[in-house]
Amino acid sequence: MEPPPMSFREKSAWISFVTILLVFIPFFWNSYRQWQGAVTGHEGVSTAFGLLLAFVVLEIVLHVIVAIRAPKEAQSPRDEREQLIDLRATRVAFYVLLVGAFAAVGMVHLTRSAWAIQQIVLLAIVLAELVRFGGQILLFRRDA
Amino acid sequence: MACAILNRIRELRAAAGDMTQQALADRIGVTRQTVNAIELGKYSPSLEVAFRIARVFDTPIDAVFQFDERA
Repeated sequence: MEPPPMSFREKSAWISFVTILLVFIPFFWNSYRQWQGAVTGHEGVSTAFGLLLAFVVLEIVLHVIVAIRAPKEAQSPRDEREQLIDLRATRVAFYVLLVGAFAAVGMVHLTRSAWAIQQIVLLAIVLAELVRFGGQILLFRRDA
Repeated sequence: MACAILNRIRELRAAAGDMTQQALADRIGVTRQTVNAIELGKYSPSLEVAFRIARVFDTPIDAVFQFDERA
């Protein structure tokens, strides 16, 4: 039997996962170039803010498109299976964030650069979000 | 991962005039994907959802769900 089409929540997880990858790979590449001195601080900050703006716009536009195609599902609260999937994925993501937080603490001893510590914290948040949405996708696919 | 709870939901849907998964999902307040996962034995529903399913088919809960003794 053919599995049912993806639910709104699964599509939402895919959107966030892919959008994070699309935006934050160039974001951290830009940060690396800034660290190497290949771009000036002003250029680096402008690119970073441009990418963050692109992230917000992409998330909103793609979610609106998906919600228009399934308005009833988009407005209904998560059901018990979706809540369980969210909780399981979030639990794993928490450990990633925890490791990132310790890495940021360790970074304080290696460098006094607030910018570098900020990048480590941002990287930890982004990786944790990737694990959260990736985990949701895996769990949704496993049940399909 | 398969669960230890067997169910007759597909059979009961067929007996109820080929009720669709979506129709059942709407009546018990879950998504169609969740009904599919329950039917395939990939997800064990809460007691509340199990009772709601039984009520839709107007049958006792143990006529819908059985514990798999082999599990």
